Amino acid sequence: MRVGSSSRDAIGHVMTWLCGGTLALDLLLITGLAAVLAVNGASHFWPRPLVELRLAGGAKLLGAVVEREAIPDDPNGGYRIRVHVGNRDLGGQDFRWIDEREIASRGEPADAVALERLEWGAFYGRMVALRRAETVLAQGQDAARAAFEPLHEAKRAELAAIEELERGEIARSSAEIERLRLAARRLELSESSGAERAASEADLAGRSAAANAAYERAAARLSALRESFLAETVELEAADGTRKEIPVGHVVRVVRPNELGMAGRFALAFSRAAEFVSGVPRESNTEGGIFPAIFGTVLMVFLMAIVVAPFGVLAAIYLREYAKEGLLVRGVRIAVNNLAGVPSIVFGVFGLGFFVYGVGGSIDRLLFAEALPAPTFGTGGILWASLTLALLTVPVVIVASEEGLAAVPNAMREGSLALGATRLETLVRVVVPAAAPGILTGVILAMARAAGEVAPLMIVGMVKLAPALPVDGAFPFVHLERKFMHLGFHVYDVGFQSPNVEAVKPLVFATALLLVLVVVATNLAAILLRNRLRSRLGPRSIG
Amino acid sequence: MESNRSARRRRLADRVATAGVAAGGLAVIASILGILAFLLIEVWPLLRAAQVEALPAIPIEGSAAAALTIDEHLTHVATLDPGGAVRVHARDGALVFERSLARDGEAPIVRTAAPPGDSTLAATTADGRIRVVPVAWRASFHDGVREIAPHLGDTITLDMDPGGRPMGAFAARLDPETGDVFAAAQLANGALAIVRRARETSFVTGEVSETTTRTMLAPAPKLTALVADRAGRRLYGAAQEGHLLSWDLRASETPATATADAGDSPITTLALLLGERSLLVGQADGRTSVWFEAGGVLTRVREVAQLPDAVRAIAASPRSRVFLAQDASGNAGLYAATSGRELWSGASPSPAALAAAFSPRGDAVAFSGAGEVAILGIDAPHPEASFASLFLPVWYEGHPKPDLVWQSSGGTDDFEPKLSLTPLLAGTLKGTFYSLALAVPLAVLGAMYTSQFMHPRLQRFVKPSVELMASLPSVVLGFLAGLWLAPRVETAFTGLVLCALVLPLCAVTGGISWSLLPARWRARRAAGSEVFWYAILIGGGLWLSVAASPWIDTALFAGSFPQWLHDAAGLRYDQRNAVVVGIAMGFAVIPIIFAISEDAFSNVPQHLAAGSLALGASRWQTVTRVVLPTASPGIFSAVMVGFGRAVGETMIVLMATGNTPILDWSPFNGFRTLSANVAVEIPEAPAGATLYRTLFLAALLLFALTFVVNTLAELVRQRLRRRFARL
Repeated sequence: MRVGSSSRDAIGHVMTWLCGGTLALDLLLITGLAAVLAVNGASHFWPRPLVELRLAGGAKLLGAVVEREAIPDDPNGGYRIRVHVGNRDLGGQDFRWIDEREIASRGEPADAVALERLEWGAFYGRMVALRRAETVLAQGQDAARAAFEPLHEAKRAELAAIEELERGEIARSSAEIERLRLAARRLELSESSGAERAASEADLAGRSAAANAAYERAAARLSALRESFLAETVELEAADGTRKEIPVGHVVRVVRPNELGMAGRFALAFSRAAEFVSGVPRESNTEGGIFPAIFGTVLMVFLMAIVVAPFGVLAAIYLREYAKEGLLVRGVRIAVNNLAGVPSIVFGVFGLGFFVYGVGGSIDRLLFAEALPAPTFGTGGILWASLTLALLTVPVVIVASEEGLAAVPNAMREGSLALGATRLETLVRVVVPAAAPGILTGVILAMARAAGEVAPLMIVGMVKLAPALPVDGAFPFVHLERKFMHLGFHVYDVGFQSPNVEAVKPLVFATALLLVLVVVATNLAAILLRNRLRSRLGPRSIG
Repeated sequence: MESNRSARRRRLADRVATAGVAAGGLAVIASILGILAFLLIEVWPLLRAAQVEALPAIPIEGSAAAALTIDEHLTHVATLDPGGAVRVHARDGALVFERSLARDGEAPIVRTAAPPGDSTLAATTADGRIRVVPVAWRASFHDGVREIAPHLGDTITLDMDPGGRPMGAFAARLDPETGDVFAAAQLANGALAIVRRARETSFVTGEVSETTTRTMLAPAPKLTALVADRAGRRLYGAAQEGHLLSWDLRASETPATATADAGDSPITTLALLLGERSLLVGQADGRTSVWFEAGGVLTRVREVAQLPDAVRAIAASPRSRVFLAQDASGNAGLYAATSGRELWSGASPSPAALAAAFSPRGDAVAFSGAGEVAILGIDAPHPEASFASLFLPVWYEGHPKPDLVWQSSGGTDDFEPKLSLTPLLAGTLKGTFYSLALAVPLAVLGAMYTSQFMHPRLQRFVKPSVELMASLPSVVLGFLAGLWLAPRVETAFTGLVLCALVLPLCAVTGGISWSLLPARWRARRAAGSEVFWYAILIGGGLWLSVAASPWIDTALFAGSFPQWLHDAAGLRYDQRNAVVVGIAMGFAVIPIIFAISEDAFSNVPQHLAAGSLALGASRWQTVTRVVLPTASPGIFSAVMVGFGRAVGETMIVLMATGNTPILDWSPFNGFRTLSANVAVEIPEAPAGATLYRTLFLAALLLFALTFVVNTLAELVRQRLRRRFARL
């Protein structure tokens, strides 16, 4: 169609080019954004070589080079590099800027190890010895290395046992103790009296003593386990010669990045990514995995979908199939449409006032009076978060479902009615099945929107670090009142509220990348579904 | 028969389902509208007048007292009558306690006073002394029932006039925590005597030592009233003919004196507001005004109350900046000093009352009349809020002029909340402006090119990728803007400015070079492929501009643009500023505007463009003269929807600005928007408090703003659709 009309309109050409330029810039920005996210996010997992630098002054340091830049305001145009030196427990600083002119020599020693630890972040150095209390198990690099692997595996198993004890028995008995305390408080608040009351009091006291004893036993076992867990240490030598003993149990992973080939690096990156997705956070969220945040996000989105799907579809069916077209329905449709444009924070404010303080406060007063003043439902939690997001996304479901219903040809309805079916039968057997892809698209779009939404959740239920998942083995298994972690909030919180922003940036990038992947994949699914639906039934607009 | 019954059952099911669907559908829609209603209900108490009701009066013995104080549960009242008798009465009128400040055989009492908020009673004697008695209310619980036991502390006597003459106006304050006493009185010769008694407990021995210091101030005209703050830093006096005097007692031996003119009408009453930085001045013509030092000068900041008769008593609340004023003919009013709002006015329950005092909780005022103490219960939960204080400049304590300030909390209990939504509204509009300034041209022109100059095969790829961009969580955009983009923009700001020049050049270069390619080669490519060539050039241009910025900075701005900006123009450069937000929020808005305007462009009927081309117009002429005007309502609607999105965006502004609520249009500064403000402050706001409701009001404003804008956009779009249907 493009008409390459004559040169009489040079301005037109230039304007066309500029116009094309804006589109090019749009596309460039999108790709650039994706590239920044992907590169920075993936670099969190990629092992960097360890570089040993000998400075002009004689000092030595070992670390990973993170970036290189021109020294600002330097008349000689020198460059400097930023080195992640780790060893926070020795030096205190994670990063150091080094002027390249001060570097006397630079090498990548094969025996340099990077330790990922449960505490204090990474350690860079060389292995010296392996000890149990005063006994030396292995001395020298190679011996220590050989002896380390099996020992480390044993310690990992012990750690798993400790965690299981903590999550299992200890958690159960402390939950039991709390339940008994609340039962005692309920008894105190109740009006009962006399022998019955005395009997229940005695019963509670007995059970309480038993629960406490069980807790004590488990705690004793736990401390014994912990002691053996920390028995062996590995001695390391930092680049400057300082030695440090680290309990083998605290070591998450030993990496010798300079020894790794390409395949090894990929394997390590994948293993780190797997730990990131399945592990729990460490060191106040700055290390470790983000599994609780993934779990919280997914659970909240599914809870929301369970609520929003039936109500949204019901409203759409009413508007499209039952209500008489008129000013009122048109007005309602506009209102619903525009509600999708109302800022999400407004829904958060509503959720706080209505769900948390209103409904939650009433539930607490009626059903959980014994726990007051500590709120049970009268504070932010996953249920309120899901309901708030359900309100936020119900317009999305209504609009998409209406579109789906509108695309069902009238002939199908008329055919069904002509054959004697009632409106309900027509709806259930003919119209809804035909519109199902559209309805599903709406629900998926709503889920994608909910997964990426953070602002309202900051008000109605998210926390920095939720020690317990909203689902666990204790009755009633799904704890709707609990606070939860969320990927989006994790990005905000770790990226903006943590004391050492520079050190956590890669982790935040990785989290953001994961969030974007989840949201984009969900959206892509919805778009593909919608396109298939459109091509099957032909385009039809509503309204 | 069987089929008949089945048919009936089916009809019934159908009818039930119809009713059910209607009910369910309407319920969902009603609940959506319920959000608006709920927000309104939460905001409504902000602007409601105070609830005032007369509580049963307490009958008392003796003559009407000029000084009184009441306990926080309103169970007892302590009065000091003109004869110097301190009496404590219980609620039912029983006399619990009595003590005379005029000791036997000594000089009689001349004047009495009850310093506000201190729970003390004070009097001067005819022989030049001040007597102060602290009143304490001790609560104890017996079987869950609270009992209040009144307790009078030891009477403190201060010698003000060694000559032993009767004195004029006086002020006395007792600090209940330290036990320090401050007193000031005008002696018979007009001079002012200041006496401080400080108590110190020795750490070693635990002994209490007292030191008393006396200062004399230069004689002043005859004073009708005198008030001092609790620490004795400031003293205010009212002279006849409306002169107001103030003494700064903080620093030196010779305190600074200042005089201010309050007009012709004599000053009848002085009182201090909560925080003791504002002075309330009641005058004979019925006016009550708020004064404080602005720029070192005691200034009448606002006139709050106008009563019909001379102001006789003013009582200031110890919990908020609310005060009650009563005139000589028994009219009373309740006012909020900061907002200047009248919360209530009406007849006083005790028309001839000599004095009034707030309860410690600020929920009642006691009036001392003859034979009884009348009590007015007060429920004024949100005195700080009024339309004026929320949106217009307010002269806050310590500010040199009326200001628009948002500062919801401070370090102390007597902090004056500053709840102006205007800086936040301005911040919202600032962020929206910068983001739309970037997004509108990029999105609209990009959409125009996509729909008018691009082959459908390429459109199928371009449109979904832009649509996918719309789904990017704003928290990710905010994070990238705050931590990735902001530092880069800071170092390469000049490069960014340079882009405005370089990028169009790149596009033109791209266009020229593309048109120089062999026509046969071009013909094989789908229309619109040149965009990818432009993108490569523009990417290069972008990189060049950024890379060149250090050179430009060195050449023009002495090495650093932010530093130069500060030195040369006096502007501060925040790392997280409006430009960064504009770019990040532009990202969020571009896909929305793009999608809607692309729709508008593609829905312009083909035959219009075809007709124009057939008449010999060029492609560009057709687009600008035919397609663009036809689609313009749709573009308007797209911009409106984008505006709505930008106004309510929370996470990006939260993360990419410094969140400073300042009124400033500079692109180099941060700002705070309504939405970010709600996100930051509402978790800390106690439910039902003024701040909480003000944040609900902010949410309501956002709701209303976006709803109106979106409805407008939707109506325009529907009209457009009908017009296209006719074409």
